[in-house]
Amino acid sequence: MSEGVIVGQENRLELTRASSTAGARERTGGASPRIRRRRPRWSGLVWVLPGLVVLFLFVYYPLVLNFGYSFQQSNIFTGEQTFVGADNYVKLAGDPIFWRALGNNVLYAGISIVFQVFLALVLAAIIESLRSHRWRAVLRSVYFIPSAMSLTVIGLLFTFIYQPDGGLLNGVLGALGLDSLQQAWLGDPKTAMTAIIMMSQWQGFGYSALLFAVAIQRIPQEIYEAAALDGIGPFRRIFSITIPLVREMTALMMIVTLSGAFQVFNEVMVTTGGGPDNSTQVLGTWLYRSGFVKNDFGYAAAIAVVMFVITLALAIAQVVYANRRRV
Amino acid sequence: MRKRTTALAAGGVIAMLALAGCSGGGNGSPAAADVDLSNVDYSGSVSVITRYAGNYESFFQEMKSAYEAEHPGVTVELQQESDQGYKDKIKTLTASQSLPDVYFTWPGNYAEQFYDNGVALDLTDVIGPDTEWGQTMAPSAIGALTKDGRTYGIPFGLDAKFMVYNEKLFQQAGVEVPTDLDGLLKACDTLSAAGITPMSFGNVDGWPAIHFMTQLNSYDVPADVLAADYKPDTATWDDPGYVEALEQFSDIIDRCTTTGSGANGSDYYSQRDAFGAGQAAMFYVENLEFGATVPEGSVAANDGWGIFKLPAASDAQGDLGALTGAPDGFLINPKAKNLPLAVDFMKFVTDKANATALTAELGIPSPVKDSLTDENSTPQLRESIDVLQDANSLSIWLDTVTVPDVADAYLSGVQGLISGDRSAQDVMDAVKAASEQAKG
Repeated sequence: MSEGVIVGQENRLELTRASSTAGARERTGGASPRIRRRRPRWSGLVWVLPGLVVLFLFVYYPLVLNFGYSFQQSNIFTGEQTFVGADNYVKLAGDPIFWRALGNNVLYAGISIVFQVFLALVLAAIIESLRSHRWRAVLRSVYFIPSAMSLTVIGLLFTFIYQPDGGLLNGVLGALGLDSLQQAWLGDPKTAMTAIIMMSQWQGFGYSALLFAVAIQRIPQEIYEAAALDGIGPFRRIFSITIPLVREMTALMMIVTLSGAFQVFNEVMVTTGGGPDNSTQVLGTWLYRSGFVKNDFGYAAAIAVVMFVITLALAIAQVVYANRRRV
Repeated sequence: MRKRTTALAAGGVIAMLALAGCSGGGNGSPAAADVDLSNVDYSGSVSVITRYAGNYESFFQEMKSAYEAEHPGVTVELQQESDQGYKDKIKTLTASQSLPDVYFTWPGNYAEQFYDNGVALDLTDVIGPDTEWGQTMAPSAIGALTKDGRTYGIPFGLDAKFMVYNEKLFQQAGVEVPTDLDGLLKACDTLSAAGITPMSFGNVDGWPAIHFMTQLNSYDVPADVLAADYKPDTATWDDPGYVEALEQFSDIIDRCTTTGSGANGSDYYSQRDAFGAGQAAMFYVENLEFGATVPEGSVAANDGWGIFKLPAASDAQGDLGALTGAPDGFLINPKAKNLPLAVDFMKFVTDKANATALTAELGIPSPVKDSLTDENSTPQLRESIDVLQDANSLSIWLDTVTVPDVADAYLSGVQGLISGDRSAQDVMDAVKAASEQAKG
């Protein structure tokens, strides 16, 4: 933070020197052969224009089109589109699988907040409180490694872990004498969604912990030293110093986690595809199934609009919060 | 990553619709009136997409090389996808009006979507039953890709479903090949009592159960009722045979499999491997998978194995001579730049020499007559084709013969039946509701 300020000051000094030199040249009648003309203010726009065009073409324009399509019924074979008013939204309101999918997203969000925000924060605090620098680095890497793995690979891995016959989880439960807890984890509608969510937590947990670790490292050590001198133990230091001083990161992580929970797709597709009996459908997979399997692209567009509204609301909350809490 | 993928999925829908919105359309397939196979312009390219990626991809690679070698001015642009990958990709290509010149299809409603919307060439004049090319094919295979007397598809592989069984395990338990459903269930009880897993079964993808249901529906529902219910306009789905078929399937799962109510969490291919490893006495499988199910040198191969049709209940009201199966096929995009070339490529792929090679290399039986020989196939594969040829009718997969809403209701409903969350009647209520919704 302080380094940034110093660099900024140096830059300002450089600018001042440059402008005073230019001013001197103007005063001397522009005798210098290397006179720089001041560029018009809009000239910078030329450089960002290609990016804006691409962004408009591939993000904003399709977004607007999608709103239109959610009021139409489309035949993908002929390209014919029929205006159906709010029919797709009426159908959505009466579709039990849509509500189940939304409920699964909410469940996903709730569990993710617990694991990827609160538990990740506690884990990061514990890791950063270790005396050994080497162990801190090792543990950060160990927890982060799942985040570096492809979700497809993780999905396949957990399919084997969750297999009812010969799966690792049931094997461990059997070895511990907990046979009654053995399940067809992904095959039972009662356990399938939770099993997928837990797989996702395993993957994302370390990444969140790493971000929290970075935030914790920015807390001045003097505060901890003062607390230690006052006789405050390591456990209380986590709750009285670490957690309050990383609240900005906590808030950010909550919003990012919530937003991600409503866009979940891969985790479900690579494990259950939304089954069994639609018990693991989430908005993303139900959108996909409605469009790509059932050919109902108007309805799929309506689901996409709902997803957009939810994630936009969360994004706005994020921006508003960031503006209010900016240091 | 998560965010990006979902955005891509949603973006895909949007982009497809955007592109689809730019193009015109029409109903009814154009006819191949101007396809003169005696005067093909062997220049340019022909684009082909198949669902034979992975273990099966070598055949089309060889076809591409051979065709290009025979016609140096031609390039075959080949894309091969997995089963599920194909289902996804073909929708995207269709919506963006970018269908390749030659594309794969399953028969039934799946193929009819393409015929009915004019994106499949009417091939009656080139491969209809009375044509020279059509005469080289099994009539049932041509028939499966024909609608209202017009032939749209080029049959490629003959696919039918059979129960494979381990002869040694049957012998150990003193079990005979069952001839009716009751006999099958009793055989399962006897095998279980002998400490042998009667049948391996995994249903994480949903379709393995649907293959059972296709066969059981054909047995339990009169053929004319079944045919009417497969058409969206006339479907009622109220024959009691459907509920009986679901209850019979439920009995098979309960008494024959160890995965039982957990079968939805078990992978089909792991269970297929379990049969090959001699860990189960039976497995319900497509004949084109015989080679993968019982590889040479596997325990099941050494134990000896045979096949039989899934047996029907003795009081079944439907067609006891029906067999679950259907030919895989290919359609031609009427907008192909060089239509005769596209058709000619598939004629090349399905000539007798290549059809024989298809079976020899991949174990896929071809619909081309006399392509199955003692040299290129196993006795079990030849037996399966004999049964197929003797069948009264071929029952097309339930998830491709019905409209997508009904197929989806069946797929999820049967998963619910397996897990014990739905009754047979619940499943049929959901199917009926989906059918009504599909009528619009």
